[in-house]
Amino acid sequence: MTATDWLDLTQSWIDGVMFGTTYALIGIGFTLIFGVMHKINLAYAAASIGAAYLSLLVIELVPTPLVYLFSAFAGGLLGALIYFVCFRFIPIKSPLATLMSTVGMLLVIEELMSHLTQGMPQNYPAMLTDLGLEIGDLYIRGDLMFVFALGAIAMVLLNLLLKRTRLGLATRAVAQQPVAAQLCGMGIDKTNASTFIIAGFLGGTAGAMVGAAIGVLSPLVAMPITVKGLVVTVIGGLGSIPGAIIAGLLVGGFENIFQYWRGVTERDIYVMLLLFVFLVFRPNGLFAPPGGRD
Amino acid sequence: MDFYFGLAQVIGIHTLLGFSAWCVLQTGQVSMLQGGFFAIGAYSAGMLTTMWQWPILPALLVGGLLAGIVAVIVGFPALRVKGLMLVVATMAFAEVVRLGFFNLTWQVSSPDGMIGPDGSLGFGGIRYFPSNGWSTLEVCVFIWILVAIVFLVLGWLDRSRAGIIWRAVGEDELAAQSVGINLTTAKVSAFGVGGVIAGLAGGVFAHYATHIEHSNFNILLATFAIAYPIIGGLASLWGVLLAAAFVQGFLIEGLRFLGDWRSLLFGALIVVVMLVRPDGVLRRREPKAGARHA
Amino acid sequence: MLKLENLSRHFGGIRAVDELNLEVHPGEILGLIGPNGSGKSTTVNLITGVYAPSAGSLIFKGANIASDSANQRIERGIARTFQNIRLFNNLPVWKNIWAAQVVRESGWQGLKQRWFASASEARGKTLELLAFGDLSHKADLLAGNLAFGEQRRLELIRAVASGADLLLLDEPAAGMNAEEIDDLNQRIRQLKDAGKTILLIEHHMELVMDVCDRIAVLNFGQKIAEGTPSEVQDDPHVQAAYLGDDSTEPA
Repeated sequence: MTATDWLDLTQSWIDGVMFGTTYALIGIGFTLIFGVMHKINLAYAAASIGAAYLSLLVIELVPTPLVYLFSAFAGGLLGALIYFVCFRFIPIKSPLATLMSTVGMLLVIEELMSHLTQGMPQNYPAMLTDLGLEIGDLYIRGDLMFVFALGAIAMVLLNLLLKRTRLGLATRAVAQQPVAAQLCGMGIDKTNASTFIIAGFLGGTAGAMVGAAIGVLSPLVAMPITVKGLVVTVIGGLGSIPGAIIAGLLVGGFENIFQYWRGVTERDIYVMLLLFVFLVFRPNGLFAPPGGRD
Repeated sequence: MDFYFGLAQVIGIHTLLGFSAWCVLQTGQVSMLQGGFFAIGAYSAGMLTTMWQWPILPALLVGGLLAGIVAVIVGFPALRVKGLMLVVATMAFAEVVRLGFFNLTWQVSSPDGMIGPDGSLGFGGIRYFPSNGWSTLEVCVFIWILVAIVFLVLGWLDRSRAGIIWRAVGEDELAAQSVGINLTTAKVSAFGVGGVIAGLAGGVFAHYATHIEHSNFNILLATFAIAYPIIGGLASLWGVLLAAAFVQGFLIEGLRFLGDWRSLLFGALIVVVMLVRPDGVLRRREPKAGARHA
Repeated sequence: MLKLENLSRHFGGIRAVDELNLEVHPGEILGLIGPNGSGKSTTVNLITGVYAPSAGSLIFKGANIASDSANQRIERGIARTFQNIRLFNNLPVWKNIWAAQVVRESGWQGLKQRWFASASEARGKTLELLAFGDLSHKADLLAGNLAFGEQRRLELIRAVASGADLLLLDEPAAGMNAEEIDDLNQRIRQLKDAGKTILLIEHHMELVMDVCDRIAVLNFGQKIAEGTPSEVQDDPHVQAAYLGDDSTEPA
């Protein structure tokens, strides 16, 4: 390989890792919900993109950073909605039912996005597009740096929330021992709903960032993000937030490298192979889950 | 009348797909891979009749067999992965299969030009039925004879040793092991049988549709596959048939009035059914008192 | 029949079972007792194949079974019940028994039974055991809907149904009232009379002292006493272990 090839490879890796923060956020969302309910909300990624779509409503009205914030809030709302429709009323003994229900929700959200926009991709604003950092021959895109920074801030805030607030404590308690937590006076339904809202907030942010990084929003992006988000969650370890972060960045980076190496059409095959390698050698993911129940 | 025969054909194909998921679900494994086996059956059977002039029945059987072999191969690593991780892994592998067919180009020359799978353009000209003068009614009867045979075979399996072993494994793996059941044999055999049935269904589908392409075998199809047994109630084969008939009938009839909204309706339908009947429409047991919510 | 030689199992730094030497003679009822955390459950899990030993050997009917898988051990003739009842809750009572029987039938007769028997034939074969467990009238109920005591009985006869010669009973009396324990006592004796060998893990001292031929006592993964019930009762080590005057209570 020539020096130029190494350069291109490094460039791909950097771009990929920065985009990987979106995967990390989606992975965190999946893992948060799994950690608390021991179930997966398959509609999560679609809801995140849906939240970004909702934020399109205010695009003419407010400056771009507030559009992202709106997306985050919309995500929280969608999260609460999904909790009520798919989780709240289904008995705990029917895990298949919640699974199917979230799949149904996924279809509904995807189709809504498709129909309401006639399937046309919608432009999404990015920040700092004209800026960039040059390190030697490497170019670090400004908009990707912003995405990365925003993702990092979201993760730090989440960490503070979980470790320093009562709500965070309740969330972690319910995750580890729901019955005991209830006996200590924590309302399970309220805590679970809050977890979905927090995860939804993160998801809305992620959806906005996906839009910002790619430049457009399209309903076609919901399925690949769902699959990649799940891959990240599994590689990171179901229930582990640090795992999801690292796995997200890794998957983002590798994905770009695969794309550089074999092109877009074959790229995803290798991402899946990466997943299978992990499943064979480390079925519990990079980090064991904190509650240690499953 | 032709319309209704066509509808009956679709219901038959989906019933077979549902049967294939039913087998795997008996052992407690949720597989999003049935669509992938369906695809393998579709392409193989289609290729055999179109490119090498095989008669329909052997082509279908070989398609089913190939899918079954792949299913058994996949069944072994699937043993290492449980519960939700299996869902993710099978989803990812299903995408790999789809992408594989997206990239598959294999054509032979024929009096009508080049025929065979053509990458992203799909595989057209699977004209066995029309070329051999089968009427819509005859195809419909053919499909339903297949459905009846599979129904009887599965019913027999269910009442015999395989059935009780599959169910015991699905109920409690540790207890099953401790009465001497070999988990590997049980789970892999369920995968295998499910794979063969899905492959058969796929082969039939290819000839029904005359043109297949990678996007036919997406997550939506995998969802249909597991939805039928889950909605129908896992204890019962009739439930699968009823669910397939209802869903496809509703969607295709509904198509007339509501146009393109059928996938959205399917999603909403699933959500509603899971709320009202989380253990399936035809379930065996009474709900236990004091069931906790999700 | 069963011999544990220097059997050990470590979990990280914890020696759950530490160089355990134990022998179960054919036809006897051996009790295994000890404070919580003494390694009783781990020992059962080692015998049934849930865990692999870190060291030592497991010899059953003269053969080393340490590398056998869990279901292979059933074929050899070891069966167990669970501390927390693990029935096939959504299957009827008779199918819980049939599941254990169907794996065992071999040969041509077995082939016919396993694949071609009608449901009523299969059910018929379970009736004898159901009668032994006084569950004949509940044969078609779902196992999950039985009362607690009935579920325990079902677990017991399911273990018998697998045709095992050695039965490992893991705290079968837990949660039972005095009447049910008497009943259990009877059944265990009946099983012994039928030629079974029994390893009984229990906390309920009255039952253990009454029904066992010999008792072994574990503490911190090691055997600290072994002998007849009266010998064990008078053993000072055993008293110390349970009342904990010198040693620290395990967590």
